[in-house]
Order: sequence, then structure tokens, then C-alpha cells
Amino acid sequence: MEALNAVLVGVPLTLLVTAAAFAMGAVLGVPLVVGLRSERALARIPCRFLVDLLRGVPAIVWLFVIYFGVSIGAYRFAAVPAAIIGLGAISAAYLAEIYRGGISSVHAGQWEAAQALGVDGRTVFSRIVGPQALRVSIPSMASYLISLLKDSSIASTIGVTEIVFYTTQDARSGGGGLTVYIIAAITYTVLSIPLGLASRALYDSLRKKVSR
Amino acid sequence: MTSSQAAQNMVSLRGVSKKFGEKTIFSDIDLDVKTGEVMAVIGPSGAGKSTLLRCINLLEQPTAGRITVGGHTIDAGKPGSRSEVQALRRSAGMVFQHFNLFPHMNVLQNISFAQVRVLGRSRTEADKRSAELLDRVGLADFANAYPSRCSGGQQQRIAIARALAVDPEVMLFDEPTSALDPEVGLEVLAVMQELASAGMTMIIVTHEMSFARDVSDTLVVMADGRIIEQGDARAVMANPTHERTRTFLRAVVDR
Repeated sequence: MEALNAVLVGVPLTLLVTAAAFAMGAVLGVPLVVGLRSERALARIPCRFLVDLLRGVPAIVWLFVIYFGVSIGAYRFAAVPAAIIGLGAISAAYLAEIYRGGISSVHAGQWEAAQALGVDGRTVFSRIVGPQALRVSIPSMASYLISLLKDSSIASTIGVTEIVFYTTQDARSGGGGLTVYIIAAITYTVLSIPLGLASRALYDSLRKKVSR
Repeated sequence: MTSSQAAQNMVSLRGVSKKFGEKTIFSDIDLDVKTGEVMAVIGPSGAGKSTLLRCINLLEQPTAGRITVGGHTIDAGKPGSRSEVQALRRSAGMVFQHFNLFPHMNVLQNISFAQVRVLGRSRTEADKRSAELLDRVGLADFANAYPSRCSGGQQQRIAIARALAVDPEVMLFDEPTSALDPEVGLEVLAVMQELASAGMTMIIVTHEMSFARDVSDTLVVMADGRIIEQGDARAVMANPTHERTRTFLRAVVDR
């Protein structure tokens, strides 16, 4: 019981870091995917490089770099903002690739039909192709979110007091052995199940409307 | 070209060519379509008919030549600004072989979308116009349906209404019945016939020979990237002068 309490204290920060990083990635992934798909090499190549860099370097290294390495004047990042920024930037790279797949799956005829009506490129993207691409992307986005929920435990290494932080602390101080880790595992599972359910419900309701 | 000719011709192509890389799709095409004229473009697959049609509204960039649609001119050498391209596209409504309706919008939204986004009409105004157009294509009851719930023939009629909604001066049809059952295709052809008799300028790439003969004024025969024959639709079909036209007509008419 004591172990359970110890683990649950970490839940709010696990959820905060996950949700904030995912939101940051979901938003920043949009300009990134526009860059990745650009016909202009000047836009495409830097975006490609950024995505590969963000995905290629381990998350723990990014968090250390941001937390210990970055100081803007006297300002240094606190642990939670550093974790959110690091995981958010990595999420932006992964989500941009997910968006890219979704956009490629939208039939070229959709661009053409809208362009033939005289609709400008930006509006075609935001109103015609984007919504359809997003629908296709939902299952992959949910899958990424669940994996991010677990990977947010990396934030414990820079002192963010989330689930794994308290779990490790409890395991070291108490004599409970594996119990506290099993409780942590169950907690993560319980948190991720609703995400999967919600994603499937969202996907189905969108598909029911357009059924394609 | 004198200005009176320019006013008469709704669509005018001069020396238009298209290459994909090294491959020439068609070259040096001259074509004039008068206001109110219905032109059918026929010919074997690979002749370049569809690509030519797609160059007229710049879905494909021509490699050479000059294209004029309803007073908007684009030269292949110096591609126009975005607003010039959009103005030209607005003057030309396009109907595709595979309809290309927007699956995430209902039928009314499909037709109203460009009216609001491109013409700046209010939602109410646009929906009113969309309802009129739906009625015109015989689908007044389908406003709230989603495209996936409509048959192919219905989808194509909705696509025609969507193209008409931005008040184009010329309608381009790219094999509008090729993806449809022959019977269903007839509903679409009926709508097109009504449009033609209402005076719409139309260019129709088609394999529907009886429609080409009965509805269109002029017929253009393309083969191997060139216009090999053109003229009055009935005359060309009755007395083709080019051997290639004869072989093609035998294959599609006398089968």
C-alpha cells in the first residue's frame, strides 16, 4: 500500500510531461512536415536534417544537453521544462514523419480537384488534405503517444519527480524489492489503455462518417 | 490574333507542348474553342488527350506555348503568378474520371467550399447556390449525404455541380463516364447534354462516340501527341480523312 502511494505521487508529472511534450510535437510537427514535403531544397534539406538529428540522438542525451548544457545568460532550464522541451522536440520529428505518411496516403486527385477550383495551396492543405491525412494518422499518433508515456520516464534522470523517479527512490530506500516496480508497470498499463480505446473510438467515428 | 478573335475564343492554345523528362506527350498543339462551343477530344490511349486537358487549367505545366482561358493568358516560358494561375483555373471548371469529391465533407459542403473560400461568398449565399445546382443535376435530396454513400453516377453529377459552383466560363471533362457502368454513365451524359444546350463552353475528352457525335459541335482526333484531324463532329465521324482516324473509329464504333 505504501509502495502504491509512492508510485501514484509520480502520476501527475508523468501525465504533464507526456501531454505537454505530445502537444508541442503535434503542433511543431506541422511546419516540419511542410518543410519535409517542400519542393525547395532550401526548406527541405534543413528540415530533413533536423528530423534525422532529433530521432537519431537518444532522448536521454537530449535531456542532458538541455538540462546541463544550455544556459541563456544566467537562465538555466528547470527539470520539468527541460524534459518537456526535449521530449517535445523529439515528438515533433516523429509526428512529422507520421503526418508525412498520412499526407502521402491522400489521393493526388484531392489536391487536383481543389486546385482546379482555384483554391490556394495553403487552404488545400488545411481544409482538404490535412483533415484527411490527420484521420489516417490517428492510429500511429496514438501508438506514439503510448510509447511517449513510457519514455517520459527518462525525465527521472534529470530529476523530474514522475513515476519512475519515485519508484526508484522507493526501491532503494525500502526493502520491497520488485513489488514497487510491478506496481509502476501496472500503473503505466492502466494509464495507456484509455489512450488506445480513445484513439480507436475517434478513428471509428471519423471513418463511419466518410467510410473509405 | 485580333481582339475580336480573342473575344470569340473562350480557350486558345498556341504551340503548346508537354514533355515529362525526355518523353514527349504532345507537341505544338494549336486549338481554339469558341464561346458556347462543345468540343469532343477523342483518340487512342496514350495520345495525350487527358494531359492536354490538364494543361488547359495548368494542373500540368506545359513545357512550351501559350494558353488563354477566358481572357487569362499564361506563357509556358514564364509561369504566371499564383493569383494569375488561380484566376485562370477559376474560369475553367474541371470534372475528373474518378470524381475526386472531398470525402470528409457532405455533398452541400463539397459544392459550397470553393464558393466561400475562392469567391468569398457567405455560407448562406453559397449553400443557396449549391442547392440550386444540386437540383439542376437531379440530386436535390442529397445535400446532407456523404459522397461515399452516393453511387458513382451520383458522385459524378455532384462533381459537375461542384465545378459549376464557381461560375466557370468553360467546363473541362476528363473521361467523365469511363469509371461508370454504361447505364449509370447515361445520367451523367444527360446532365452534360443539358449543360451544352444551356450554352456552356465545353471540352470533353471521351470514348463515348455517340455522345461526341450527337452533342458536340466539333471533334478533335488526337494520336501520338498530335491533332491529326479536327472539324465538324458529324462530318469527321462520317468521312474521316486520316487513316489513323479510320482505324480508331472502326475500333470504337464498329465493335
